[in-house]
Amino acid sequence: MSKRLNNMLLGMVCMSMMACEDPIDIALDEGRSQLVVDAFISSDMSLQSIRLTNSANFFLNSAVPAVNSAIVNVEGPNSIVYNFVNDKQGNYIYDPSTKGALDSIGFKYRLQISYNGEQYQSFSMLNPVPKIDSMTYAFELEELDSKEGYYTQFYATDFGGRKDYYRIKAFRNGEPLYPENPEFINLSEDAAFGGEGADGLLFIFPIRAAITDEGNPFLAGETSSVELWSLNRDAYSFLQQMITQANNDGLFSVPAANIRSNIVDISGSTQEEVLGIFSVSSVSRNSIIINP
Amino acid sequence: MKKLSLLFLLVIALGFSINAQKKYTISGYVKSSSSGEELIGANIVVRSLSIGVNSNVYGFYSLTLEEGTYDVTYSFIGFDEVTKTIELTQNQQIDLELKERVKELDVVEISSDAAEQNVSSIEMSVNKIDSKTIKKIPALLGEADVVRSVLLLPGVTTVGEGSTGFNVRGGGIDQNLVLLDEAPVYNSSHLFGFFSVFNPDAVKNVKLIKGGIAPIYGGRLSSILDVRMKEGNKKEFTGEGGLGLIFSRLSLEGPLIKDKASFIVAGRRSYADILAKPFLNENLKDSRFYFYDLTAKMNYQINEKNKLFLSGYFGRDVFGAGFIFDWGNATATARWNHIFNDKLFMNLTTFFSDYDYAFGVQAESARDEFNWRSSIVSYSLKPDFSYYLNNKNTIKFGGQSIYYNFKPAQASFISGGEPNDISLPEKFAIENGLYIQNEQKLGARTRLLYGVRWSYFSYLGNGIKQFYGDTIAGLTKPLLNTEKFDSWESIANYNNFEPRLSIKYDIDETSSLKASYNRMTQYLHLISNTVASTPIDLWLPTTNNIKPQIADQVAIGYFRNFKKNSYEASAEIFAKDFQNQIDYIDNADIFFNEELEGDLLSGDGRAYGLELYVKRNRGRLTGWVSYTISRSERKVEGINLGNWYPNRFDRLHNLSVVTSYELNPKWSFSANFIYSSGTPATFPTNRYEIQGVILPHNVNQSRNNYRIADYHRLDLSATLTPSKNQDRKWKSEWVFSVYNVYSRRNAFAVFFEQNDQNLTETEAIRFSVIGSFVPAVSYNFKF
Repeated sequence: MSKRLNNMLLGMVCMSMMACEDPIDIALDEGRSQLVVDAFISSDMSLQSIRLTNSANFFLNSAVPAVNSAIVNVEGPNSIVYNFVNDKQGNYIYDPSTKGALDSIGFKYRLQISYNGEQYQSFSMLNPVPKIDSMTYAFELEELDSKEGYYTQFYATDFGGRKDYYRIKAFRNGEPLYPENPEFINLSEDAAFGGEGADGLLFIFPIRAAITDEGNPFLAGETSSVELWSLNRDAYSFLQQMITQANNDGLFSVPAANIRSNIVDISGSTQEEVLGIFSVSSVSRNSIIINP
Repeated sequence: MKKLSLLFLLVIALGFSINAQKKYTISGYVKSSSSGEELIGANIVVRSLSIGVNSNVYGFYSLTLEEGTYDVTYSFIGFDEVTKTIELTQNQQIDLELKERVKELDVVEISSDAAEQNVSSIEMSVNKIDSKTIKKIPALLGEADVVRSVLLLPGVTTVGEGSTGFNVRGGGIDQNLVLLDEAPVYNSSHLFGFFSVFNPDAVKNVKLIKGGIAPIYGGRLSSILDVRMKEGNKKEFTGEGGLGLIFSRLSLEGPLIKDKASFIVAGRRSYADILAKPFLNENLKDSRFYFYDLTAKMNYQINEKNKLFLSGYFGRDVFGAGFIFDWGNATATARWNHIFNDKLFMNLTTFFSDYDYAFGVQAESARDEFNWRSSIVSYSLKPDFSYYLNNKNTIKFGGQSIYYNFKPAQASFISGGEPNDISLPEKFAIENGLYIQNEQKLGARTRLLYGVRWSYFSYLGNGIKQFYGDTIAGLTKPLLNTEKFDSWESIANYNNFEPRLSIKYDIDETSSLKASYNRMTQYLHLISNTVASTPIDLWLPTTNNIKPQIADQVAIGYFRNFKKNSYEASAEIFAKDFQNQIDYIDNADIFFNEELEGDLLSGDGRAYGLELYVKRNRGRLTGWVSYTISRSERKVEGINLGNWYPNRFDRLHNLSVVTSYELNPKWSFSANFIYSSGTPATFPTNRYEIQGVILPHNVNQSRNNYRIADYHRLDLSATLTPSKNQDRKWKSEWVFSVYNVYSRRNAFAVFFEQNDQNLTETEAIRFSVIGSFVPAVSYNFKF
């Protein structure tokens, strides 16, 4: 929400002051390449995928190199090891129809990666997720930063008496609403932005309504769907930092900083820094057809 | 306390040891005969004895001489000198009015202060600007501005246009004590810093103290920006105002009781929103973006010994369209000047100051909304005494007590018709100070100012004391334990002695050497994790986890005037050492965080530099050149691998050229040129991809490892004064100005982003707040 505020204010300053943004050429120092782990998996029965790549020079301007020489697995309860098999594209895939889903609520799953002689590990606890009770839609007229069309909302209630973190994913006709745009990652700490008063409530207004593209709202006949993903604090904080750092511009920009990973090198010798995140989530879903 | 009383005794002893002959005192106020305004810093001199004093900030002076007859000369720049022959056989109160000099082109003076004071006064690292000078400087959108004028002085830098506040000698923006008639202003900007809250029509003079800070001041590390408002014309009713492109001004002043009481009221409002209204469609009609402010002051001379002042400021910036975002200050000051006798003068100030910002979002149904307000409120009582012991010693002593109430977040939301309060707890604190100082003349050439300030701060209940674990680089400190405190119970308290010393030595009539040392303590902290400071930065007190900031500064300067004070020049070097500077863990969450203190880091800072300054006071061409070379760095465990790194506002070179040329009575021209080195920024070395999003990464974990491009800018203005002005009361002028004449796109920051069209491409984006030249015209009037 503060992002949106930022853009609005920036817009106003631009109008009055002729602010401008233009691309420039800058020579940056080249840094060494590091292992990157992109591991958002869920307790679903669908194929679960972990992606390994290498970091590259900032202005590489092509796809980052995939890593296919690692061994990846996740350890579940009773020492069951779920092997994630490399597909030669940098993805490591596990099919839950073989050994079952990773669905032990409250269990701390352990990620293990062996790569280039180093051993990496990370833990993520599988948290429960509340069900999405219902969804609604309403027609809205054009406003300063939003177009005319159908806007949807979802209704779900946070678990009381515990700290919960969620990511809300929005879809339009089954397709992610905002592919690859960190600006629209929608997160929630309990039912709001944290603080004691936010526990155990219906997800509050700006969060539950942030599932429509304001620049291109839903049309009659389209389907709006929502997924609610439970997160650990680590993953929540990682996504929050990602939102900040990937689109860090304007008057309200913050100092550039590295995003904290929850994966560590446990090999005895040198501690290699590894980038990325390991997260196991429960997911609940709902959808509504705009049928006025 | 022991040191304090010892010093006091010493001072008293010094004074009385030379007190042998019969002495009498002349004292009183120096005023302008046209408006009745008190003159600050007027010279009162007995030339035959080479003895003199200056009137204080209330226009009061006191001069003690042996029995006899003297020619006493009263002078003030821009006013006719008056010499009075005084037969001194008893104490006398002499209130004197000086007449404004008729304007002659070749004696245009831009300083309100006697030029020779550059050399003769004990003050160093001080810059004064009066409202006349401020109004001559070519300004953004033609609107003269106090803080933007301050940016042209030596030792002052800023992160860039659109950033709130200013940085003095390597200090953060929260290290400036900005005073409006003695009440602190917690955020001095309108429109994110494009303008400041001070209405130049209501400002009498502005003094920036960067070093050699006297014990009378305390509470901030780096500077005092002392803004004094006009008192209001005591003789006749007058007005002043202007119509500009972005806002309009009007101020009215006049006597309430002739020669006894007067007032001034000044207001401004921006009207970009009103102008835009017809062009907005139906749904945008309720969008708001404007600011306004109102400044008012009243004074009443009860009798010769007593004077009362009431002043206030109220201003807000409002932005809104579906959401609302607004911020503003409110201050109120009451002061009582009392003359106990011809040697003892008192000013008693009490003030209230409030800064708050708010935003909210409301859904159509009113069953859903989100509201947020954050504020700092302070109340204070401040007695200050000046004791004119004799013509060699002027003692000042006094104290201050400030009570603070911080409300970091009063937040509530309504979700589906159900209201919920998610406010963070309020915090309370009290800050006390006691000081004593003596300004002493030692022989004909040497002057000393020495003293000490003792400060005490208590973080008060009701509140919760939080205990945190140790810092692990990059991680939020864990909250280990909490303890509850009741109202007025002290949760944590600190006290500090702050010694201050200044020395001046006259080399000859036109040059002097000055040196100073000061220690300052600061108990308030502005928590800001944005690159530039913004209105939503948060003021917090010192707590058991956040230690008071301390700075020691040493400055040495050479001061010289040329050509009968037509030119004044100075060269100063300074070095500053900072302790307990606040920084943040990477990606700290300061916006809404009950455990914010766990995200804060503490470190050391250092700054040093050379400031050169030449100013021309007389002639058709006036103005100044200021050049500063300086460095400001900090070192914090857990940032930049624990090594020193430059502060965000560090600029190695800083050059300002400010000139004004009076061609004839009709036309005058002004020009500014500013050059400064680029500010540092943290640039990535690598990129990586998570969930299809490209993220920047710096493998060296360095902070501020690059410099953005240099900043430079030229501004021009021309003022047309119609010749018909001369014969009428209504005086008007047109000001035509161009800001950023050659349209330089000065970078405010460089961002690294994914290209919108081609997502595998990353690019560096230069963000310029002002991307082209900005022409403006404004019409100013006086009646």
